[in-house]
Amino acid sequence: MNFANATFLKRLGVGLAGFLVALLAVHAQRQEPARGGGGQPSRAPSQAAAPSRAAPARAAAPQRPVMVDRASHGSIRHADTHVVQRPVAERPAFEVRRDVVVHHDVDVDVHRARFWNGFAQGRRWAALPLGCIALVVNGAPYYYDDGIYYQPEDGGYAEVYPPVGADVTDLPDGAIAIEAGNLVYYYAGGAFYVQQDNGFVIAPTPIGVTVPELPPGAVQVSVKGAVAYQFNGIYYQPVFVNGVTQFQTFMP
Amino acid sequence: MNGINRIINRTGQGLRLVVAAGALAGLCAKPAIAADAKPAMDPQADEFLKRMGDYLAQAQSYSVTAEVWQDIQLASGQRIQASRTIELQVRRPDRFHAEVRSTRHSRGLFYDGKSITLLNRVKNFYGSIPAPGTLDEALDVACERFGITLPLEDLIVSDPYRSAMQTAVSGSDLGPVTVLGVPCEHLAFSEGAVDWQIWIETGAKPVPRKIVITYRDEEGSPQYTAILSHWDFETKLPDFLFNFEPPAGASEIKVEEIKAQSEAHTKEGQ
Repeated sequence: MNFANATFLKRLGVGLAGFLVALLAVHAQRQEPARGGGGQPSRAPSQAAAPSRAAPARAAAPQRPVMVDRASHGSIRHADTHVVQRPVAERPAFEVRRDVVVHHDVDVDVHRARFWNGFAQGRRWAALPLGCIALVVNGAPYYYDDGIYYQPEDGGYAEVYPPVGADVTDLPDGAIAIEAGNLVYYYAGGAFYVQQDNGFVIAPTPIGVTVPELPPGAVQVSVKGAVAYQFNGIYYQPVFVNGVTQFQTFMP
Repeated sequence: MNGINRIINRTGQGLRLVVAAGALAGLCAKPAIAADAKPAMDPQADEFLKRMGDYLAQAQSYSVTAEVWQDIQLASGQRIQASRTIELQVRRPDRFHAEVRSTRHSRGLFYDGKSITLLNRVKNFYGSIPAPGTLDEALDVACERFGITLPLEDLIVSDPYRSAMQTAVSGSDLGPVTVLGVPCEHLAFSEGAVDWQIWIETGAKPVPRKIVITYRDEEGSPQYTAILSHWDFETKLPDFLFNFEPPAGASEIKVEEIKAQSEAHTKEGQ
């Protein structure tokens, strides 16, 4: 009985081996035409298993798949209208920092509480928050904490508008990546940061750029009879973008 | 022992036959899989969808409520869902009104056959775009020129079946299920990088009860889910529902065209 079992197992093994050989032969045959004919040297089965169209494309294509962004969701009819291709590997927002919000014009109700939402120009504090960083911008002393800037005032400290030229190592939490022209700005607390060397510098506010929300504490004003908002000398006018209310910087 | 060997021999021969058959199957299996993988439209799924499309297309007017759940990816990478409700009223061939509400947002969209008006009820802003013609033309103008996807527009078009099937490459009928207790047929369709599912009520009123759109070409394959209820084909929908009247104190603002957005300049100020 043991002998019989051994014979049985041997035959089973031979049979399975034959099956595998047959499969490999079929597979190899299928790969040959795709590789440009039988004259090509054979490759290891694992390499040959790659789809034929992948071989030439691999050199040029990005390592990660190309993804897309849509302005809005919810339509089959217009699923492919205004779709922006965006190679994932080239997304600076994700490569630079993971806690940067990539700007989508979607109308969803997600409240993002950020430290800099609480900014109020001129508000006085007796002491600075723990962890404040001392900065010198254009020769003036500042203190910085997660998107809010302070200056010494009357023995205490006052919240002040973000100074152009301030250079910080980290973006404020929840900064919003906004592409304008050929630049990527990171918008937070009414300031537009650009990446520079190993840090981020506040750039002059670009005019004509659209942001999804007003700077904290922006004041409503009337410009030529139209409603607008003002923050640190810059005006913002409301506009519908992709059907969602946003705010565009302008100079009256 | 001989008997056993005969049995084993026979078994061995049988195995060889099985292996040979397997090898032959291996030869044939690839094309069979390839044929299976080829997109196909299940006639039953097509029929259910057509029935629904015809039913909506023939309705002169209707109203429906939808609860929408939409996947959002937070900056941390965490996936969450945001929700809102939509109250939709349609009168063919050229009237449309929707109210879109969530905890912090409230928007109205009006189409009176001449223009589409957006109303931000929280900020009290409104803006209009010219869109003369039919509902189909208005939907296309809104999306293509202004990037505005009107809520549930796949149900608003004059021929929902034809509009949906224009780009569908495969479809299947996944059988009967219930949506909030309503017996439905579950259909799944695919069009390239976008998959969509629809649950159509079985019986005399073949209306959609649930729609799920999956965007496979976006990071994390987010989904949009709409659960539809309160279908009403009886109540008359008068003109005033579709004609926009600015609320007291409302300010008119510009509706950006897509072209204008791409031309946003970056002149430096401050």
